[in-house]
Amino acid sequence: MAKDRLTEVLERYEAVIGLEIHTELTSLNSKMFCGCPVEFGGEPNTRVCPVCLGMPGALPVPNEAAVEATVLAGLAVNCDIALWSQFHRKQYFYPDMPKDYQISQYDLPFCSGGYLDVEVEGDAVCERVDRSGDDEYTTRIGVTRIHLEEDTGKMVHVGGSEGRIAGAEKSLVDFNRAGTPLMELVTEPDIRTPEEARRFAQKLRLIIVTLGVSDCSMEEGSMRVDGNVSVRLRGQTELGTKSEIKNMNSFKALHDALAFEIVRQADMLDAGEQVVQETRHWDVGAKRTSSLRSKEEAHDYRYFPEPDMVPFAFTEQWVQSIADRLPELPDAMRERFMATWDLQKYDATVLTSDLAMAEFYEAAIAQAGAGRAKTVANVMINDLSAHLNAAGITMDESAVKPAMVAELVGLVDDGAISGKQAKAVFSEMVETGEMPSAIVEARGMKQVSDTGAIEAVVDAVLAANPDEVASYKEGKTSLVGWFVGQVMREMRGQGNPQVVNQVLKDKLGG
Amino acid sequence: MTDLSSLTAADIRDGIAAKEFSAREVADAAFARVEALEPQVRAFNQLTPELAEKAANRIDAMVAAGEKLPPLAGVPAGIKDNMNLVGTRTTCSSRILADYQSAYDCTAVRRLLDAGALPVGKCNLDEFAFGSSTENSAFGPTRNPWDLERVPGGSSGGSAACVAAGMATVSLGSDTGGSIRQPGALTGTVAMKPTYGRVSRYGCVAFASSLDQIGPFTRSVRDSALVLNAIAGKDDMDATSVTQSVPDFTAGLDDGVKGLRVGIVRDMLELEGLAPEIKASVEAAAARFAALGAEVDDVDIPAARHGLSAYYIIGPAEASSNLARFDGIRYGHRVDDASDVLDLYMRSRAEGFGPESIRRIMLGTYVLSAGYYDAYYGQAQKARTLIIEDFAKAFESYDVLLTPTTPEVAFKIGEKSTDPLAMYLSDVFTIPLNLAGLPGVSMPCGFSRGLPVGLQLIGRHFDEATMLRAAAALEADLALDMTPATVRSLKA
Ligand SMILES: [Zn+2]
Repeated sequence: MAKDRLTEVLERYEAVIGLEIHTELTSLNSKMFCGCPVEFGGEPNTRVCPVCLGMPGALPVPNEAAVEATVLAGLAVNCDIALWSQFHRKQYFYPDMPKDYQISQYDLPFCSGGYLDVEVEGDAVCERVDRSGDDEYTTRIGVTRIHLEEDTGKMVHVGGSEGRIAGAEKSLVDFNRAGTPLMELVTEPDIRTPEEARRFAQKLRLIIVTLGVSDCSMEEGSMRVDGNVSVRLRGQTELGTKSEIKNMNSFKALHDALAFEIVRQADMLDAGEQVVQETRHWDVGAKRTSSLRSKEEAHDYRYFPEPDMVPFAFTEQWVQSIADRLPELPDAMRERFMATWDLQKYDATVLTSDLAMAEFYEAAIAQAGAGRAKTVANVMINDLSAHLNAAGITMDESAVKPAMVAELVGLVDDGAISGKQAKAVFSEMVETGEMPSAIVEARGMKQVSDTGAIEAVVDAVLAANPDEVASYKEGKTSLVGWFVGQVMREMRGQGNPQVVNQVLKDKLGG
Repeated sequence: MTDLSSLTAADIRDGIAAKEFSAREVADAAFARVEALEPQVRAFNQLTPELAEKAANRIDAMVAAGEKLPPLAGVPAGIKDNMNLVGTRTTCSSRILADYQSAYDCTAVRRLLDAGALPVGKCNLDEFAFGSSTENSAFGPTRNPWDLERVPGGSSGGSAACVAAGMATVSLGSDTGGSIRQPGALTGTVAMKPTYGRVSRYGCVAFASSLDQIGPFTRSVRDSALVLNAIAGKDDMDATSVTQSVPDFTAGLDDGVKGLRVGIVRDMLELEGLAPEIKASVEAAAARFAALGAEVDDVDIPAARHGLSAYYIIGPAEASSNLARFDGIRYGHRVDDASDVLDLYMRSRAEGFGPESIRRIMLGTYVLSAGYYDAYYGQAQKARTLIIEDFAKAFESYDVLLTPTTPEVAFKIGEKSTDPLAMYLSDVFTIPLNLAGLPGVSMPCGFSRGLPVGLQLIGRHFDEATMLRAAAALEADLALDMTPATVRSLKA
């Protein structure tokens, strides 16, 4: 989808978007209502017990750590924490749901009434037509609620095409995932562009990862984002008919699917058609949404209070004890990076956009010294990020450690190697995991800054090229670069360029 | 020779400890009684002689080794067939679970067996505990040992009948609206529903989670206390079981009722439809309490009249949800020619469930539906709150309350099975306790036309001890012979 098509549509129509984000609490030791471990994958139906299989007579016992994690998340996105809350049963039949009801929350969720401030900058601003003149803007997205529930199992359809149910001969169910603690966050319909939706989801992910309660992997489905989207003519106050978009398995998919849907709905309205309220599926290959089911088939979930558990009565003190456990959140960390190390906002944003990155940075600074905060940042943002992206690996998987970056920056700073040599050292360090000093040593790459040694080479070069010296003295001063090149060649690139330059100028200019 | 089938649990344990007889002999006597009476009574869905033998041998080995015996050593026990026990089927007397093998142990059953009891078998019930006569069993009705033409009550009819008939000394039942106490009254046994939360529900197939409670059938009040000792207490597998400390319920059992404040629930006693002989028996029992030194007076629980209607909303609502899992996907009856998953659900369930289960599922589904929730479920919860408050008020002035257990003695098989509403009335006196979470015990207090009459004593939350003390005093005073006709005919 060309962005200009979206912006063209958004000039006439306003999009109204709300998100529902499910996060599996993958960092917990056990499932929501039983003692089975929480892990991804595994042999089917090996991480199950009578409780999460819904055997006759089995009862749920709430995982307190999951309740605490949800309250922690609520506090992190500025929610009010209910002092009286409860689980409800959401009832519908589906083979991946062992009890044929899901223990969830209804009118008494743990957290409600929060928000996140989302920043949009650069090219992405153009989607927000009314702010397209700005370089960047911040918008507040309301968080309606966060509640806790249990995840379902997984269906495997055998004999059909692509594992879809249509045409399948039979279906199998794997209950390993059944009962995994699942946190659902619902936003207010405050989002106006696909980019804002993406930024919100990215920021929420970063916060939840920082809280240490989930790995938030969209690929493995531990973070799942659904979107409700409708469009209305600008100036109109009434909401348009919305559709719900599912299967957006990456942040890019989230953006692209919402963008597609906005244009699709606008085109329908332009053509005088009606938008149908329905659930639509994002097909990442075809780059389009298609109808899954329409509203007529909507369920009556017959919610009622879960009688197998007593309601939760929290005290203010208990909520405070959870609040005391809040780690430094990404926004605060960015402010601190900017203030402590005098970083530009962009650099601080990049460094705090990933918890591993931020921790790496702080570890590297601890060794390199605060005076090298900017150069360390440069190496990380330019070289290290590029390396990780190119290799498609995470910080943890990389051979590069904070001590290496700190040492590399130190070598350049002390004039021991040139910037150009540093690039070569970095490339080798990425491959071998060797310390920079060892690489420099082994390759004989030490930069020569000793004036005496450089003077000797400069004298030899000047003596060997009298014609060029004469031209220089006649005013062709641009020849200095050529002399530097000659000297560096003699020194096999190990001369300190600044010293070489200085010595040359002294000798030539007198 | 002692008739081992007539002994109390306390006598059995002491007799085995004193080497008067072995656990094996007790088991053999129980199964001999089963052989004699089970063909007529039909209290069991499954007999477990191998499990009983193994347990008996373990007790006898302890005796041989001179070890201290657990409190229910060698006591033959029936287990309602809605409680899981590995090595047995747990059928809930339903076609849908006819072949279901228990995957784990119910906590209360485990505790009972750990206390030394010998599992005789799994007892018949109204399907999923829906009923008051045990006629709603997919495997046929259980008969009352006092009169084989009559019902033993329900839903725990098999548990009641096996204890009355001496095929077991104690048994476990579950009580959602009276399913322990009503059959207790109809079979002349001591039948207790403990306080909600006192006994773990883990492993007992749920009917209505907020009302269900497991409790014992016995032939003496002391045995009732002994079984409660064994099964009570916090269970980490049941979030509604409470940490409340568990006293020794046999302690102080013989302390009498002097000064005890006994409230006769007058508005229940004046209920239209209460059989006059039952009313008279309860009045007579009240007079005995007074004679024994208790302070006896009338009290009203006005909100209790909403009990039946509130119960028939809350019970089916929770049941409709609890029974959803019987869907033919993971276990239980499944049609083998389903065209799709919906067809599989609908036909497996239609074939698997009996008519009363289907009635309750439909009722429960209806009252929870969008637009009806507030009018039904919401109102029922309000009525429940009123009932709780009325009982709380009564317990400000009284230590125990006294009511009939049932409006009628045991009725004939088939007499009410076509009239669900008449059947539902059987539990009018017992239901309010489930709604309020209170403990209650039914005990024999006389006879009407040769059939046992039961009265119900109600205690404060977690004060089963006082309730049992009152029951023990009356039991000793009345000294009734509760040997049913079928058992008498064996001895003759
Ligand atoms: Zn489990």
